Amino acid sequence: MTREPIKILLVDDEEDFVEMLSLRLKAVGEEVTPAHSGKECLQVLEQRDVDVVILDVKMPGMDGIETLQEIKRRFPLVEVILMTGHGTVESAIEGKALGAFDYLLKPADFNELMEKLEAARKKKAEQPSRLRQKN
Amino acid sequence: MKEALRLLIVDDEEQFRQVLVKRLSRRGMVPEQAGSGEDCLDLLEKKPMDVVILDVKMPGMDGLEVLQRIKEKYDKTEVILLTGYANTQDGVEGIKSGAFDYLSKPVELDHLAGKIKQAHEKILHEAEREREAEFREKMEQRMVAAERLASLGTLAAGVAHEINNPLAIINDSVGWMQLLINQGDAAEIPIKGQLEKGLDKIVQSVERAKKITHQLLGFARRSDPIISEVDLKQLAEDTVQLVEKEAKHKEIEFMLESDPSLGKIWSDAYQLRQVLLNLITNAIHATGSRGRIEITLQKDGEMVVLAVKDTGQGIPQENMERVFEPFFSTKPTGEGTGLGLFVTRGIVEKLGGVIEAESRMGEGTTFRVRLPRAHKGDERSEQEDHTNWVEKPTATTGKMPSAGKGPS
Repeated sequence: MTREPIKILLVDDEEDFVEMLSLRLKAVGEEVTPAHSGKECLQVLEQRDVDVVILDVKMPGMDGIETLQEIKRRFPLVEVILMTGHGTVESAIEGKALGAFDYLLKPADFNELMEKLEAARKKKAEQPSRLRQKN
Repeated sequence: MKEALRLLIVDDEEQFRQVLVKRLSRRGMVPEQAGSGEDCLDLLEKKPMDVVILDVKMPGMDGLEVLQRIKEKYDKTEVILLTGYANTQDGVEGIKSGAFDYLSKPVELDHLAGKIKQAHEKILHEAEREREAEFREKMEQRMVAAERLASLGTLAAGVAHEINNPLAIINDSVGWMQLLINQGDAAEIPIKGQLEKGLDKIVQSVERAKKITHQLLGFARRSDPIISEVDLKQLAEDTVQLVEKEAKHKEIEFMLESDPSLGKIWSDAYQLRQVLLNLITNAIHATGSRGRIEITLQKDGEMVVLAVKDTGQGIPQENMERVFEPFFSTKPTGEGTGLGLFVTRGIVEKLGGVIEAESRMGEGTTFRVRLPRAHKGDERSEQEDHTNWVEKPTATTGKMPSAGKGPS
């Protein structure tokens, strides 16, 4: 497979979930960095090049929506897929309005997740280059 | 609103009875007559009475005994005793046994008419109180049911959420293992087939549990309907198309009949499709091979009536009251979640409608949904619960504000 791996940052306070989804994504050839809080997520983004963030909505401390806002403010090129155990219309609409690429309900279908990851990466690659200078 | 008074005079003296009948009739009270206690009881057997005027001193069964029998059998009937002159003893005895009152002979007609009226009023009053109590009880039951559903919704959403997380872990663990046993050395191990079988079962079970939790979240959804013009006939045709494959298998015939004057209605197309899909799928499951499913759309004043009729087995009476309950299913374990009709009713009520079922054993079942043609429930109060759930957020993507275009 000559395909470029998608650089994924997986953020969820549920450690087992982060571990197992990371293993699965790595097993299909993606590059995954784990994080367990919004704060950690932002720290990773400062240090690494990331294509897509998979972001849990409900986390203690800085929640997914707050984290999303910070990501979009400081790293506008990075795409975000929100993921949660329950979907609320408000957070879905809010998330979209705040620039999230899409929204998934746990347990997510792996193929669906892969499609969204691929689409999100494609979108990121198509961003006008002038945006790359921003931040 | 006064109901006609059913009055009976019981006295062994015929002449006395005739006089009373004549005089009372003149006042608009037309009594029936009986010449003895035995006759009185026979008559009551056939014809219930409101008020009985009962002579105490009679040959055969005396008034006090008749009174006791009346009170034993017809507790709503009021009895006015007629006692001998100055015989208060019998009167007191009678009141103890449940008589409304007693009058001593000779009877003064005004007095008697007054007593009859009082007795009648007491009966009407009691009936009114009974109706009120019945009504109150019904309302209370309904409130309890509504509260139970509301708290069930909160609980269900909470449970579903808590279960989705571990389900996601199981799901990704098993997906990872499935990848592993097909890689490198693992692909060679002799028990690979057995491992795969076990892993498949886990995947299927996660899928099954996920169906339930996601449906529960759908049930707890309090989101506002997205109202637009809906062509119900078109929607029904589309939905039939969705399930046609399954129906073809059983050679089920579909009939769609729509009132030509129906036009479009204002409602939530997405949620109505869910209703149609649930009802039609149920109908397919209920209908045997070569059955027929009839979908009719009718205009009824401000409402539209959507009926889905199948030619299945029918629903036994004892199940009729339970079909809308959550987790009630007659399908084999694992096949039905028991939430379909429950969710359907939730949606219909949210859209301002009602749903009812009618069934005849051996003939089939009809589900009838009545919906307002114009939706009026648009305004929602700000205090409303803001925990809104979506079952499958991606499905509403098109309706969301376009975002993610990056900062400008």
